[in-house]
Amino acid sequence: MRYCSKAAQEKRRGFIDPRTKLALVVIIALFVLGGIGGEQMEPVKTGLSALPFLLLLVERQWRRFLHGLLVLVLGYGLLLAMPYLPGVLNYIALMCGGILTRFVVTIVMGEYLIGTTSVSEFICAMEKLYMPSTITIPMSVMFRLFPTVAAEWRSIRRAMGMRGIRFGGTKAGQVVEYQMVPMMTSCVRIGEELSASALTRGLGAPVKRTNICRIGFRIQDHVLLLLCAAVIGVWILELCGVTLWWS
Amino acid sequence: MSKTENKLKGRDLINVGIYSAIYFVILMAVAMLGMIPIFLPLLSVIVPILGGIPFMLFLTKVKKPGMIFVMAMIMGIMMLLTGMGPWPLLTCAVAGILAELCYRSGDYKSAKKAVVTYGLFSLWIWGNYLPLFTDYEGYFAQRQSYGQEYINAVQRLMPLWMAPVLLIACFGCGVIGGMLGRALLRKHFAKAGIA
Repeated sequence: MRYCSKAAQEKRRGFIDPRTKLALVVIIALFVLGGIGGEQMEPVKTGLSALPFLLLLVERQWRRFLHGLLVLVLGYGLLLAMPYLPGVLNYIALMCGGILTRFVVTIVMGEYLIGTTSVSEFICAMEKLYMPSTITIPMSVMFRLFPTVAAEWRSIRRAMGMRGIRFGGTKAGQVVEYQMVPMMTSCVRIGEELSASALTRGLGAPVKRTNICRIGFRIQDHVLLLLCAAVIGVWILELCGVTLWWS
Repeated sequence: MSKTENKLKGRDLINVGIYSAIYFVILMAVAMLGMIPIFLPLLSVIVPILGGIPFMLFLTKVKKPGMIFVMAMIMGIMMLLTGMGPWPLLTCAVAGILAELCYRSGDYKSAKKAVVTYGLFSLWIWGNYLPLFTDYEGYFAQRQSYGQEYINAVQRLMPLWMAPVLLIACFGCGVIGGMLGRALLRKHFAKAGIA
């Protein structure tokens, strides 16, 4: 039972609190991906883009870090190569580059959130945020199921592709019916088993659940949350028309 | 029914999570197409139609008030996390309540009402277009990095009068998706014993 001990939990504890991770995901999604803010936000956005990569390094998630970096380099490579490409390729390179450089950062941040947070930690953080369980339970089931659904879909696509049921295959018209139906059937079955297992462990019980996860704000959380506040502050100042730096 | 029976329990919430996950994965897979300008308005057609399949399956599990609303709100939160801004949260709340009331009026089992319910639920997708329509100039100013060609193409496809058209498309295609979902439900899921 060493795994459940307090010391083990302390050892497993992530670098930052799940609440801080959520705040960062929202900020990065809004500013880097959603693209709100004008000229003056550009340096801020560049700084924000580096953040998820730094966090992955701190948590020693080498594979995720390398994947993200590779796609980012590809995106910037396309943008750099763009002026030298002829005609329509030029336009495609610009679009792909623009999209890649914009999306990768948010996806990497999301990967960091999912990869370094256990479901228990997530629920614990949500409880501390006073989120009602009507929202937290479905959300945690969702995060748990995403990889499963994706894996199921991949395998079924492969199996059906062998029989020509794929886009560009001989029976492309049947894709919707023969890929989505089996995918959903198996996901629902997996979900039912998951549901039984969660209920056995007292998820639906009318008493208050306890949690042994150790989460809480430490110095790094305070710094990162201050950073989030600063980003919003810069944005508000910009909306009010204050010039912060000459760009 | 007494009040305690109507309260959402663990199993109901897990069901909401399962179907939200399937719906969301399909949504994201299709939404990636939206990068190509021509597919941007078409998303309000494809997403409701394909999403109808998991949603109709979900409706067979809905027996208590609140489940549809919770799913709508989760979609809103997920859109916030994936960078669509706060607008979908608003449309999700409205669409969720409308869908909930509609399915409730059919006593949570009417098949015809279920199709309309999905049409109403699909209205939330419209919220993803709102940042474009509410701030037309600003939206394109932020997307300079995609290149002028992209902006021109999108502006040609999405003039301001498209806003109400897309709203109607969401509802109409939601109804079509609902019917498709029902057909598949009868053909496959009932046989497999999960509907």
